Amino acid sequence: MWENRCKVALSGVGFSKVTRSADIPLAAHALVAVKEAVADSGLRIEDIDGLATYPELPATGHAEVDGISIVSVNCMMAMLKLPNLAWHIQVGTVNIGGAVQQAANALLAGVCNYAVVWRAMHNPRGTYQNLPGQYAAGAAQFTAPYGFGGPGQGMAVAYTRWLERHGQSREKMATLAVTQRQHTQHNPHAYFYGTPLSREDYLASRMVAYPFCLFDCDIPVQGAVAIVLTTAERARDLKPRPAYLAGYGQRLHFEVAGRIGSLADYMEGGRSSAKLTWERSGFGPADVDVAQIYDGFSASVIYGLESYGFCKEGEALDFIQDGRIELDGDLPLNTFGGSLGTGRIHGLWHIIEGALQASGRAGSRQVKDANVSFVGASAPIVTGTTFIFSREPY
Amino acid sequence: MSDWSQVTRPIPVPNEWTRPFWKAAKRGVLALQRCQSCGHFQHPPYATCTQCVSTDLKFEPVQGRGAIYAYTIMYHTGDKRFASAVPYASIIVELDEAPGALLAGNLLGAEYTDAKVGRRVEIVFEKLNDDITLPQFRLAATERG
Repeated sequence: MWENRCKVALSGVGFSKVTRSADIPLAAHALVAVKEAVADSGLRIEDIDGLATYPELPATGHAEVDGISIVSVNCMMAMLKLPNLAWHIQVGTVNIGGAVQQAANALLAGVCNYAVVWRAMHNPRGTYQNLPGQYAAGAAQFTAPYGFGGPGQGMAVAYTRWLERHGQSREKMATLAVTQRQHTQHNPHAYFYGTPLSREDYLASRMVAYPFCLFDCDIPVQGAVAIVLTTAERARDLKPRPAYLAGYGQRLHFEVAGRIGSLADYMEGGRSSAKLTWERSGFGPADVDVAQIYDGFSASVIYGLESYGFCKEGEALDFIQDGRIELDGDLPLNTFGGSLGTGRIHGLWHIIEGALQASGRAGSRQVKDANVSFVGASAPIVTGTTFIFSREPY
Repeated sequence: MSDWSQVTRPIPVPNEWTRPFWKAAKRGVLALQRCQSCGHFQHPPYATCTQCVSTDLKFEPVQGRGAIYAYTIMYHTGDKRFASAVPYASIIVELDEAPGALLAGNLLGAEYTDAKVGRRVEIVFEKLNDDITLPQFRLAATERG
């Protein structure tokens, strides 16, 4: 077991408005989320001495303009003017989960006391994956000439592999989309709050990249979320009940750029990250009371459930049926609505929900006795990270 | 059947790792990077062998017969270069001689609904310009009926 188990805690959380279009600069969204997270902890801005983010814009063919389409650490430093700033980082290899892990490490190392992590996501005008180029260079030379454009197709090919190898049908995914949309109705910050989705809506929706229909894909939005992380000792003196970080992991599986469609790569990525998380936390899949698993595209949940060890390979679409993933089911899943409900903010919102459930702060969507709370914060293949939050510091 | 006649495919830009692949394709030969130390074929090309980390890599011709490992059928018209061809099948092929090396392609000369995991395919070549010829796939004779 990890010697630093439950020595760091997630304290405050903050949310900006989530809008479809970019009517105000992204920096303004990020600032709202960060200030709200700091206030939620009962701290003042000048108490914050650590900053971390993953600022990437996942849309292709759009400029990264700091403050407009991304919010870098530099941008946040300029806005907050922190008198006690002692540490900061932007991560590259494992998306926003990596920023959270680095912040936890910095707290454990004693180089800062209150770290803020945010994820700000921009929805550019025009086509999200803007691919006008006449040429395909780099890894794209082996994919773009065949019409492989965005990440959705890359994940769709692995999904057909999964479906046909296991004799499964995509219609069963309606349960995930509909259940998560029901959960979304308990999350006023979510883009699809107030917009229900029926099984019939899912089954009738237009195909985007088979097997993905429209409701298998998260909607691009503009918005930001933020958290305050601190040591467990300090967290106990703050306003909200802490969610203790019992363990974490990151994908260790080697990725070959431009290689797409490999189901094995997803599974290996997820297994490697989860193994570390179970070992460090001392918990196993059977101990988990509530789970958040990244769902930028719905099939990511399949790869997550199977590679993290919640069910056997080929069984995930059967596993999610019959109420199991509902708020009162055996494994309540994506209880905040997931990315399919909130809009595309990447995995920090999954981390936030994992912590809110563990600390008993999830309001009308609170899962009863959510003592062990699991998070898979990105697609397992390339950017995967996993976390366990616990209600007690053990 | 998907109409490819109005599609403007982006032209691959070879680099120092990938140039032999495109030179062979121009001659109508599919050549994949092979480790001279452990014999492992790999695609896309990489700086080292992804199995044994040897840097002794050469491109060797392969037959170009294999099976559809995975596929997607594209309906979205966001990429205007391909909008006229939707719905179309983009496939991932695993070659008999090179297990683990995954090649992208389209399923040419067939209905997009003919794309299924495990179906047998063979290589064909589609000339894009005087420099670049694109390896593509069609159903194998045994599958065409």
